Amino acid sequence: MSLEKVIFGFFVLLAATLNFGFFIGDLSDPSLHNVYELFAAIVVSLIATVLKFGDRTQIGAVHLATSLVADLQLIAAALVWAYATQISSAGLDGQAMASVVSLSGGALLANLVSVVLLVVETVSFHRR
Amino acid sequence: MGRSTKPARRRPARRDDGRRRIRFTGSGEVSSTIFLILRRMRAPLIVLITIFAVSVLGLSLIPGRDAAGHATRMGFFDAFYFMSYTATTIGYGEIPQPFTGAQRLWVMATIYLTVVGWAYAIGSLLTLLQDRAFRQAMALRRFTRTVSRLREPFLLIVGYGETGRLLGRSLDSLGRRFVVLDASAERVDALDVDQYHADVPGLAADAGNPRTIGLAGLEHPRCEGVLALTDDDEVNLVVTMTAALVRPELPVIARTVSPTIAHRMRAFGSPAVVNPFDRFGDHLRLALRAPASYQLMTWLESGPGAGLPAAGRAPTTGRWVVCGHGRFGHELTEDLRAEGLAVTVIDARPDAGAEPAMIVGDASAPEVMARADLENAVGLVAGTDNDTTNLSLVAAGRKVNPALFIAARQNRPASAPLFAAMEVDWLLVPTEVLAREIYAQLSTPLLWRFLREMPARGDDWAAHLVDRLRQHCGTHLGTVWKVALTGHEAPALGSWLRAGDARLGDLVRSPLDRSRPLAAVPLLLLRGSESMLAPGDDVRLAPADQILFAGRPSARRSLVDTMTNDAVSAYVLRGMSVPSGWLWQRVTGRVPRIG
Repeated sequence: MSLEKVIFGFFVLLAATLNFGFFIGDLSDPSLHNVYELFAAIVVSLIATVLKFGDRTQIGAVHLATSLVADLQLIAAALVWAYATQISSAGLDGQAMASVVSLSGGALLANLVSVVLLVVETVSFHRR
Repeated sequence: MGRSTKPARRRPARRDDGRRRIRFTGSGEVSSTIFLILRRMRAPLIVLITIFAVSVLGLSLIPGRDAAGHATRMGFFDAFYFMSYTATTIGYGEIPQPFTGAQRLWVMATIYLTVVGWAYAIGSLLTLLQDRAFRQAMALRRFTRTVSRLREPFLLIVGYGETGRLLGRSLDSLGRRFVVLDASAERVDALDVDQYHADVPGLAADAGNPRTIGLAGLEHPRCEGVLALTDDDEVNLVVTMTAALVRPELPVIARTVSPTIAHRMRAFGSPAVVNPFDRFGDHLRLALRAPASYQLMTWLESGPGAGLPAAGRAPTTGRWVVCGHGRFGHELTEDLRAEGLAVTVIDARPDAGAEPAMIVGDASAPEVMARADLENAVGLVAGTDNDTTNLSLVAAGRKVNPALFIAARQNRPASAPLFAAMEVDWLLVPTEVLAREIYAQLSTPLLWRFLREMPARGDDWAAHLVDRLRQHCGTHLGTVWKVALTGHEAPALGSWLRAGDARLGDLVRSPLDRSRPLAAVPLLLLRGSESMLAPGDDVRLAPADQILFAGRPSARRSLVDTMTNDAVSAYVLRGMSVPSGWLWQRVTGRVPRIG
């Protein structure tokens, strides 16, 4: 067992689960989506991205790409949220919440691909 | 001449007989530097993200108070904004309202945390930039990029010692490009100090590694030749092998002092193997037999701007004393004997070789000197591989017999002023011999051909040619260049050449005043495969002839004018003054015939 692999798997999975937790529930209902969960998802996703730096294998490159996609989507969601709460006169209404959650839904897809890659890697190199 | 060297012959690529072309370099070289940075920056970046996340989260959880005094929490947006300017030490103050005590306590902790985080990240990045491996990776990357962007034909010089440097200077003044590969970083750094006209990419890396040779441009389509000039025969062999296997069609010139290695090199393709000691022997024999031929050869081989070497006549009868019987001394002794001279050999090592008249002992010791009977010798060769020993041998020999003809071998370039001060009759510098030899082979094939055929013409002929060169160019050689009387290179000469009465003397005339000859001496005329050495003024030229000239650079430019400009050629060849502008040609009706 390698500690590096444990930490790597932990962060990849945690990014996916946090993202899922934020995403689940009615798209346009602000009370079903906790902003702290979005914050945690962004931080964990960023850490997972940095952990994937510097891997020269093909699967490592795809890992990094999916993480970057997830980061992009989550940061976009945070920006929409900041716009709705701070700048927009309408405030955080159902429409704004729906776009935040749907953006995080895209990130969830990327995170799921990451998890699939992790599983594929584990299955194909199980003797390592 | 030419005992050990063969002209570099081009061999067709062996791709049709099932041999795959090998490639050493891939695209992976380039991106490795970025991966190195990313990998090393993992820990600092994660620390920074964590510190930020904890700070922002804490700030958004700790209750504050709004303007009216009600308890409220800071939003993520405000918290992130606050942390961003605090962590980067900008500090706009407490927003949106003044903080409560609990908030200030937390902010105090986070300020120290974030400063540590930034310091760690920036420090790691700076350390990485100073890192030796990283800098090497960057240098390699820059070198690879420069080489791959070369759009002119270039030579790959492996080994940038004294020979490489001399050769580089000559090649640069010819306008040739080259790339340098050497194991020593100091020598590669010296490239910046040696002021070349063109930019010379250099890499300090193990030259015996085929991958390095590949990176240095062996696989580049514009690479036109490989020179293996390191001090290490083994490395030169590797370079020769690599070049022959990867690019069989490339000409290779390799240096070696060992006949065994030379034999092994020739097993791979047909490299031109140059053995400086061996070449020395050839030069020596030429110098003994025909001093003027030797003088001419040395002058032409020295490259542009070389001064006329002194014409010293070595004694051809009597007994020579050769000190040092290494590979150099051995070669020299054999050549002296072949010329019918008696030779006494002195060497410190008793096992230096089976030699009938060998005296074993330190040559500079008085009793050994006495046994060599220098009083009755005519020549002394100080040929050990130690410059200090050679210098003291010269001094000691002079003392015993001031009339001695003295030849000394100079090993290190740093000793050059000492040998110059000793005023030896004949200075033998292996690196220079090598550089000149390779220069003659590379500069133009016609010069190489001239030098090989020239000794057969005899000493008087050579002395006459040296005189002619001196009259035209002075005591410093101008440039040596080749012209081809083809439609492409000499479009203004077409009709004149085809008329059948094209005398060489009429062509080499000044465009300013055609009664004056140009300061250029034709050395060789090549027609088909037949060559004529030093053609006279009355020689009739034919289309497609190639001529090798030596002369001043201004003469070369004038000749190019005559060959390419119809108005100039009409004046030089026929004495006609033709207007060069289109309008005056129409007005006067005098139009130079094209071709």
